[in-house]
Amino acid sequence: MKSISFTLNGKKVASEVDDDELLLATLRERFSLKSVKEACSIGECGVCTVLIDDEPHYSCLTLASKVDGRDVKTVEFMGDMDMLHPLQESFIAHGAVQCGYCTPAMLLVGYSLLLKHRQPTEAQIREAMSGNLCRCTGYIQIIEAIRDAAPFFKSQAKD
Amino acid sequence: MLPHFSSLRPKTKGEALTYLSDLDRAKLLAGGTDLLVRMKRGESHDYLIDITAIEELSGAVLNGGRIRVGAGTTHRSLSLSPLVLESARSLAQAASWIGSPQIRTMGTIGGNLVNASPAADSIPPLLVHDALLTLESMDGERTERVEDFIIAPYTTTTTGREMLTALSLEPLPAYEEGYRRVAKRAAWAISRLGIAWSILEQEGTFADVRLAIGSCTPLPFRARKVERFLTGRKREIAVTREAVKICLDEIRRISGERPSFTYKLPVVRDLLQAILGGR
Repeated sequence: MKSISFTLNGKKVASEVDDDELLLATLRERFSLKSVKEACSIGECGVCTVLIDDEPHYSCLTLASKVDGRDVKTVEFMGDMDMLHPLQESFIAHGAVQCGYCTPAMLLVGYSLLLKHRQPTEAQIREAMSGNLCRCTGYIQIIEAIRDAAPFFKSQAKD
Repeated sequence: MLPHFSSLRPKTKGEALTYLSDLDRAKLLAGGTDLLVRMKRGESHDYLIDITAIEELSGAVLNGGRIRVGAGTTHRSLSLSPLVLESARSLAQAASWIGSPQIRTMGTIGGNLVNASPAADSIPPLLVHDALLTLESMDGERTERVEDFIIAPYTTTTTGREMLTALSLEPLPAYEEGYRRVAKRAAWAISRLGIAWSILEQEGTFADVRLAIGSCTPLPFRARKVERFLTGRKREIAVTREAVKICLDEIRRISGERPSFTYKLPVVRDLLQAILGGR
């Protein structure tokens, strides 16, 4: 077992984790964050994506002990039922959610991109999404949803 | 399911080398994008030594006239490094196409090399830059050329007690340079073909040419015959056409005829013609 402490969705947390425990399991089982999904388990589908220091990582291929001292975000960071995040609102407005299975991860890659590029080109959006599969929407709606949420991030920019 | 193992997370290179020397059935873990996938498919190790917390293994700097790249540098940071973009552009480009954004954030150049896939995008650029690898163990240190390090697909000269710690590349800032690949799609695709090149042209003449081709022969290779032919010759179509022909003959000599060549060789021909013609 290893003792780790990290920031999870803005709060300092600590946990005991197994030596061979994957971050995916820690988040789902120890912190009940069921938005983090497992599908392919080999880093191809992207549904297990979480942000570590605001960069997308596959939690199905990350040891839990690696996030000791770091910042981890799941989609629960963005908004809740009472007040959705503008990026989430944009996904709904564009019909970018159908079955919803890929959505938490898609929101996180969109969020990470918009933190870095306040006005991303379509090529940058496509590139940012290229590690995540969606089998419902055909992607166009997701691209548009991310693009149209950019003004919110721009107005939040500190730089 | 991942087989059970104990994990260690050293903060220094020395600590990692001590673990490697003392523990049996131990394996180094870098980005995990290959190793953990293989372990989920049944490969097992008693210990994984996670080397991602070792800061000295990460980053690209100019050192004694060469580019020193820590083996733990991620594909993403290589693709964004101003030094690599300026003096080893093909490596930055290749790194920007590996896997997916998540894979590039997690995976490392050292891991990619040790994995030694014949389709690894990082290898042709390293061949172009005459990369030397530093391998360390408790018994000492050795340096090996990248072409000697990979001895067969998925096989290198490393012993289980050694760690690839750094790569040293010849900087080529004045050269025209790039990496092109052909794959079934842009993201998450294994390269079907990859060409790295670095060309120094002086007054219309090829002063120095370096070409490395991946995913075509069992191991990526430097097309030295073509390089020798071109050096000192005029950069004109008759010359580059002849060079392309020499290259295709060389590929056939190394691999023999392959069913895939009906498709691949015309692509090599057109890509090389465009590269050598400066298009």
